[in-house]
Amino acid sequence: MSSEIVQAASRRAAAIALIIGFTASVAVRVHLDREVKRQTTPVMYVTSGETLRRLSFGYQGLLADLYWTRAVQYFGRQKLSGTGDFGELGQLLRITTELDPHLLIAYRFGAIFLAEKPPAGAGSPDEALALIRRGIAANPSYWRLWQDLGFIYYWDLKDYAQAARAFETGSRQPGADLWMKTLAASVAAEGGEFETSRLLWSEVYSQAANESIRRSAEEHLAAIKAAEDIEQLNRLLAEFAQREKRPAVSMEDLVRAGVLSGQPVDPSGVRYQVGPDGQAVLGPRSRIDLRLAH
Amino acid sequence: MSRIAAIAVHTFKESVREKVLYNLVVFAFLMIGAGLILGTVSVGINEIAFVNLGLSAISVFGLLIAVFIGISLVWKEMERRTLYNVLSKPVARAEFIIGKFFGLVLTLAVNTAIMTAGFYLVLWYEKGRLAAPDLAPLEAIYFILLQLTLVVGVALLFSTTSSPALSAVFTLSLYVIGNLLDDLRVLGEQAGSGGLRGLLRLLSVVLPDFGAFSDIAPAAHGELVPGGRIFTHSLYAVLYATVLVSATILIFERKDLR
Repeated sequence: MSSEIVQAASRRAAAIALIIGFTASVAVRVHLDREVKRQTTPVMYVTSGETLRRLSFGYQGLLADLYWTRAVQYFGRQKLSGTGDFGELGQLLRITTELDPHLLIAYRFGAIFLAEKPPAGAGSPDEALALIRRGIAANPSYWRLWQDLGFIYYWDLKDYAQAARAFETGSRQPGADLWMKTLAASVAAEGGEFETSRLLWSEVYSQAANESIRRSAEEHLAAIKAAEDIEQLNRLLAEFAQREKRPAVSMEDLVRAGVLSGQPVDPSGVRYQVGPDGQAVLGPRSRIDLRLAH
Repeated sequence: MSRIAAIAVHTFKESVREKVLYNLVVFAFLMIGAGLILGTVSVGINEIAFVNLGLSAISVFGLLIAVFIGISLVWKEMERRTLYNVLSKPVARAEFIIGKFFGLVLTLAVNTAIMTAGFYLVLWYEKGRLAAPDLAPLEAIYFILLQLTLVVGVALLFSTTSSPALSAVFTLSLYVIGNLLDDLRVLGEQAGSGGLRGLLRLLSVVLPDFGAFSDIAPAAHGELVPGGRIFTHSLYAVLYATVLVSATILIFERKDLR
């Protein structure tokens, strides 16, 4: 009987020790997280994807997924930090694609991460081009990579001739969408036009695999729309000045003159204004970044 | 034939009594489930990550089962002296070894089938339906099973000559080398001396090519294996397993069991 009591007491003591020990260790861990500045730069013990592939014993696919996840998390963390330092991104993407040359998402979105201007991205279109070219070499019949190549030439390098060539080559790949041919012609004829830019960003938006890329595409599309609106408003302001023999001081003037049916608003819902130079500008509360339109 | 089948069935029953087997299968299921989480913390690789992690789990835990049960197959019988009981009956040593081999292969096949069922159940739950490209993981699992058959052969060979600890070290070492045969071949081509070149070339052909059965990454992309490759790999596995079992029989026949 006494041994049963001892056993029950020891079980109770062990259970209490387990609960207290676990709770305390979690509390200490949380405290450590606050105290110690967490290392944000990924540590890469092996920098060659080829070596990692050899050491993976057939599990290179899983390793590539882990490296891609590291690249995504690194990009997100650095983007949030706002430092514009994406020094390890290229290497993480290179290792990922060397481990699994058919991991298409790593080329496609990795290139967007690399090419985007700082602080939103690494601002390294040349690295992005190299990544996409490696992707094309490993997946020659996948036409979307040609679309991405053309996109980088068009948007980040403003090299419309190369962009048109990339879209054209992509349009000849098996299964390529018909609009690739249209895009190739449109870029060749009117590179830099808003309509072409909108077509490109709409495609990025429709294929976005995560919220960050979708939001970026939305911001670009909004900026393109605002830039178009401002161009149109400037034309109307010029017409008004010519007709009324005086410049408009506010959009209200255009509404009163019947040129506009109502106060024009930008895609973020803020009214456009007339600037001191008589040109249309965004309102001070506007969330649109016009630099994204070009 | 019936004696071999009896030993195989007995080995299977004995293996499924091992608690470690269930622990490993539970861990494999946990890892298969973890594939769903990996996909959600990354971008655009939900299904690829699930297939990669699921198949890797089936392969790794299958390997552990093959090694840790395979290395003690004969050794345990000798330690417990149950081997003498078996061999005192009209059972040839060769039949004993072949029966042991097929018993463990059967254990692995059943375990792999259970893990495969779990894998496809989660895949179906994740996707809502299964389509033709979802057959690709099944082919990769078949290749994993072929690879495990060779691992069983190697473990059985070492289990007749060494203690379980040494057998485990030897089997795992050979597994590692067998995954690096392509590099051995390249090293051979680059070697300056003709003798070394010949030796490395010979080793790359003679040692079991475990790396040849690695098909997980293409399966994750839904790439089906050409029929010809399935045939040649199956043929290679059968032939090499025959070599390993034959070598084990030759060693075991000469072993002094007194």
